[in-house]
Amino acid sequence: MTGAVVSVRTNRAKSTARVRVRRRVLLLAASGLLALFVLLTLSLTTGEMRMPAATALRALAGLGDPGDVLVVQEFRAPRSVAAIVAGAGLGAAGCVLQRLFRNPLASPDVMGVTGGASLGAVALIAAGASQTLIPVGALGGGLLAALLLGVFAWRSGLAVTRLVLTGLAVQAGLAAAVNLMIVRFPAELAGSALQWTTGSVYGRTWTEVWGAGGAMVLALAVALVLHRRLAVLDLGDDSAGALGLNSSTARLQLLFVAVALASLAAAVAGPVTFVALAVPHIVRFVTGPPTAASLGLAALTGAVLLLASDLVVQHLLPIEGLPVGAVTATLGAPWLLVLMFRQSSPVRRNQA
Amino acid sequence: MPLPALRRLPLLLAGLGALALCTALSLALGARSVPLPTVADALFGDAHGREALVVTGLRLPRTVIGLAVGAALGVAGAVAQGITRNPLASPTTLGINAGAGFAVVVAIFALKLNDPVEYVWFAFAGAAGAALFSQALARRAGDIDPVRLALGGTVLQLVLLSWTSAVMLMNQRTLDEARFWLAGSLSGRPLAVLWPVLPTLLLGLVVALAVSPALNALALGDDSAQALGVPVTRIRLAGGVAVVLLSGSAVAVAGPVAFIGLAAPHLVRPLLGADHRLLVPGCLIAGPLLLLTADVLGRMVIRPSELEAGIVTAFLGAPLLALLARKVAR
Repeated sequence: MTGAVVSVRTNRAKSTARVRVRRRVLLLAASGLLALFVLLTLSLTTGEMRMPAATALRALAGLGDPGDVLVVQEFRAPRSVAAIVAGAGLGAAGCVLQRLFRNPLASPDVMGVTGGASLGAVALIAAGASQTLIPVGALGGGLLAALLLGVFAWRSGLAVTRLVLTGLAVQAGLAAAVNLMIVRFPAELAGSALQWTTGSVYGRTWTEVWGAGGAMVLALAVALVLHRRLAVLDLGDDSAGALGLNSSTARLQLLFVAVALASLAAAVAGPVTFVALAVPHIVRFVTGPPTAASLGLAALTGAVLLLASDLVVQHLLPIEGLPVGAVTATLGAPWLLVLMFRQSSPVRRNQA
Repeated sequence: MPLPALRRLPLLLAGLGALALCTALSLALGARSVPLPTVADALFGDAHGREALVVTGLRLPRTVIGLAVGAALGVAGAVAQGITRNPLASPTTLGINAGAGFAVVVAIFALKLNDPVEYVWFAFAGAAGAALFSQALARRAGDIDPVRLALGGTVLQLVLLSWTSAVMLMNQRTLDEARFWLAGSLSGRPLAVLWPVLPTLLLGLVVALAVSPALNALALGDDSAQALGVPVTRIRLAGGVAVVLLSGSAVAVAGPVAFIGLAAPHLVRPLLGADHRLLVPGCLIAGPLLLLTADVLGRMVIRPSELEAGIVTAFLGAPLLALLARKVAR
C-alpha cells in the first residue's frame, strides 16, 4: 500500500522533473533563436552606413535601394553568416568532444585541430600566399592534425586516455611550430600571423561562407545521427560492447565528425578559442544531463556567442581591426562563471 | 614503503646521472664549444681567458637557471595533477602562464620596459594573481572543487590569453618585444633574475614534498581520503599554494615554458608508478632534465643562432608524449 504510494510519488516527481528539463530546453532554444535574430538584424543595420531594421532586412532579400542591397548582401551578411556558421560548428564540436573524451576540459585545442589550423594559415602567410588561400590552409592544417592524432593513437582500437594524451602531444608540437614561425617572422608578418591565429571573420566572401556552411550543415546532421552512439559510449566501454557497439569504430566516427566541425569552423573564422570549451558547459548547466537536444543547443549558443563577439569587436571597441577571438572569452566567461556558481549540487564528474 | 622504494632506487640514480651529464653538456656546448677539462678548470680551478669567461659568465647562470626552473615546473605539474585529479592539469591550465604573460605584456605596453630582468616581479605578480583568482573561483564551502579548479583555470587562461593578443595587436612595439619573452627561453637571463624568486621557489618545493604523501589518499577520491583521516581541504589548499609558488617563480625567470609541467609527470609515472612519494621527487629530476636537454638542443640545432627553449621543449616533448600514450594500456 505505502509502497504503491511511494512509487506513484516518485513517478510523478520524475515526470515533473522531465517536464521541467523539457521546458528549460524549449526556453533556451527559443531565447537562443530570438537572440540570434536580434543580433543578426543589429549586425546588418549598424556600421559606417546606418539603416533601419526593415530596410536592412528588405535589402537582404534584394529589395530596395541598390546601394543598401550592395552593402548588406556583399559586406555585412557574409561576415555575420560566417560568425554563425563557425560558432555553431565550434559549439557542436566541443559538445561531442567533451563526451567522447570524458573530460570537461576537452576542446579542439586538446586534439590539435587549433594548432593544425594555425600552422596551416601561418605557413601560407609565410609563403606569401593570397588571402583567399588562407582558409584552405587552415582546413588542411586541421585535417592534418586529426590524421596525426589518428595515426599515433590507433593501436588495435582507440582508448580514451591514449586519445587525450596523443591529442595533447599533437597540439603541443604544432603550437610550437606556430610559435617558432611567429618568433622568426619580421615584425609586420608577425602581426598578421597573430591576427589570424586569434581568429577573425573580417572580409569573408560568399564563396567561402557557402562552401563551409554547406559542409557544416552536413557535419551537424551526421553528428545528430551519431548521437545515439555517443549516448551508448557514455555507459563505458564494457557496457557499450555488451550492447553490441564496437566502441573503437564508434569513437573513430565521432572523432571524425568533431574534427570536421572544428576544422570547418577554423577555415571560416580561424582558430577561435573558448567557444568549443565553454558552450557545452553553459548548455549543461542550464538544461542538465546531455541529450540530442543539447547538441543542437550547443550549436545555437555557439553561434550567438560568436556573432555577439563579432558585433562587439566591430562596433563597441575603439580599436580598429581587432580579431573576434580576442573578445569571445571575455564575453563568454562571465556567463560560464555565473552558471558555475549558481550550480548548488556538486558538479557531475564523468558526465562532461 | 621501503621495499618498492628501494627497487626504484637504481632508476632515480640513473635519472640523477643523466641530469649530471646534461648539466655538463649544457656548460660545454654552444655557439663556442668548450672541452670538458677546460669547463672543470673554469669552475673549480683558476683558469682565465675567453673560454673560461664563456663558461662562468654565460653558461653557468644559464644552466643554474635551467635546473631551478625545470625542477619547479616538473614538481608543480605533478602536484597540480594530484590535487585536481586531472591528467590534463598543469601550471598552464591554472592560468598561471597566461597571467604572467598578460602582466608582462601590459608592463611592456604601459611602462615601455625592454629587459627580462625588469619583467620578473610583473610576471610573478601576474602568475600569482591569476592562480589565486582561479582557486578562489573553485572554492566551494571552504574546499576546492577539482573539476571547478580545472575548468575555472582554463577559462581564466583563455580570457587572459585573448587580452594578451589584444594588447599585442594594439601596439606594434609591444608585439615586437613580447613575442620573444612569450616563447620562453633561458638565454640572456643573468643570475640576478633568479635570486629574487629563489626563496619562493624553495618554499614551494618544501610544501610540495610535504603534501606528496597525502596526494596518494586524494587519488582515491575525496570521500575515501576523508575516511582515511586525511584533511582533504587543507591538503588541496597547501598543494595549490605550492603550485603557485613554484610555477610563479619559474615563469618569472624563464617566461612561459609550456609542456614541462604537463609532460614530466606523465613521463615519470610509467617508470616509477603513481605513488606521489616517488612521483614528486622523480619530477624534481625529470623537469630539469627535460628543460636542459631542450636548451642544449636549441643551441646545437641552428648554430651559431639558437632556438628558444620553450619551443624546443614542445617539439621534443610532443613525440615523447605520443610514444608514451601508445604504451597506455587502457
